[in-house]
Amino acid sequence: MKRIVPFVLALVLLLPSSVFAADLVVAQAANFMPAMKEIIPAFKAKTGLTVQATYTSTGKLYGQIINGAPFDVFLAADQRRPDALFAKGLCEKPFVYAKGQVVLWTKNKALCEMGWIKALQDPSISKIAIANTETAPYGTSAMNALKSAGLWDKMESELVYGQSIAQVFQFASTGAADVGLCAFSSVFTDEGKKGCYTVVDLAPPVIQAACLLKKSTHAETAAQFIEFLGSDEVKAIKKKYGYK
Amino acid sequence: MELEPFYLSAKLAFWTMLIIPFIAAPIACMLAFGRFAGKSAVDALVSLPMVLPPTVLGFWLLVIMGPQGTLGMLWENVTGQRLVFSFTGILLASLVFNLPFAVQPLRAAFEKLDHRLLESASILGLSRTQAFVRVIIPNSLGGLAASSILVFAHSLGEFGVILMVGGSIPGETKVASVAIFEAVEALRFDDAFLMSAALVPVSFLVLVLINRINRRR
Repeated sequence: MKRIVPFVLALVLLLPSSVFAADLVVAQAANFMPAMKEIIPAFKAKTGLTVQATYTSTGKLYGQIINGAPFDVFLAADQRRPDALFAKGLCEKPFVYAKGQVVLWTKNKALCEMGWIKALQDPSISKIAIANTETAPYGTSAMNALKSAGLWDKMESELVYGQSIAQVFQFASTGAADVGLCAFSSVFTDEGKKGCYTVVDLAPPVIQAACLLKKSTHAETAAQFIEFLGSDEVKAIKKKYGYK
Repeated sequence: MELEPFYLSAKLAFWTMLIIPFIAAPIACMLAFGRFAGKSAVDALVSLPMVLPPTVLGFWLLVIMGPQGTLGMLWENVTGQRLVFSFTGILLASLVFNLPFAVQPLRAAFEKLDHRLLESASILGLSRTQAFVRVIIPNSLGGLAASSILVFAHSLGEFGVILMVGGSIPGETKVASVAIFEAVEALRFDDAFLMSAALVPVSFLVLVLINRINRRR
């Protein structure tokens, strides 16, 4: 018996990973993770099909897809990347699946009551976390809000950059940065509930598009999933996490 | 192509290389010659940064060095500055994750020393500290050079930990590896390629240079 155990363990490691494969693999921009974690079980309850999601930044997923990653559906945080895939002939016509909102999130509850413009200028603040303004759509939107409010030049020395909206929230929730310009959805996570937020009203909505990848070997399931994304059930989930 | 990230990387590698022997040499000496309870635990603790995923190490450092962490709070009280998202912060992180890479070659060098040298030092009345400074170190310059080379090269290439505690501030914490990562993310592949290509000869030249200095000794 003792000799069999390591043998079996080694055998498990040798199994092809397809043994564990799901019916559908989606590439999901990180900001939508809280909502997607509810959408996947709902889809399973309805159809019996399992969905596996990879969560990371839109830019990284895009890079993986153009290099042949085996995803079925790409749910981005912007319109630019799905449009680029479409132009390359790598995916079907993109469609908008969610509109996100930038919020200011902080552990310091007094700041939220001031509204975001005053909160950012509060003397107690020395570091503001923002997503990479070039690659992360939430970073671009937050930058536009700061520029519209005439705060960009003044605040630039206080900005610290997260590579994705998830890292921005991490900086803010560990207290390393005093406030974070986060995605509305992060407010609803367990960590998010420990702080407070105020909507950055000058930030343009982040229009998030998705598309069905042409390489998909599960096109039928993918179409079913895409249809499900437009259902009332998903609309309710999206609303719950601050998406329009 | 941005040049500042290269300057920052070089500066980080240089300062790490300069400071780390003062921490690593006593630890290596303790591990090579010391006989005390819990030695293997200390040994494991020192090697931990080598095995831990950089993101794990980075996350711990972010919490400890943040304004609510022990170290970050202390630092902010003393200097009035924030420790994370600063050059000092990434330098500190760099010292932590480079420690095993500095300690191991030094320890190996110390263990290879002729024991008669140490016995003579002891007979001639040198204290332990005196023996360390005047006998052990001068006879382990090869190990010291090897450890410096490794630390310098390793800090040039470090990415994960710095990404976690640095916050990618241009001119402060945005080192070459982070700049390359951002260029790839932004689909500026030409830029990324140029910067990556530049890092190869720079690293190569540094290694050749240090090897030469080493051989002359």
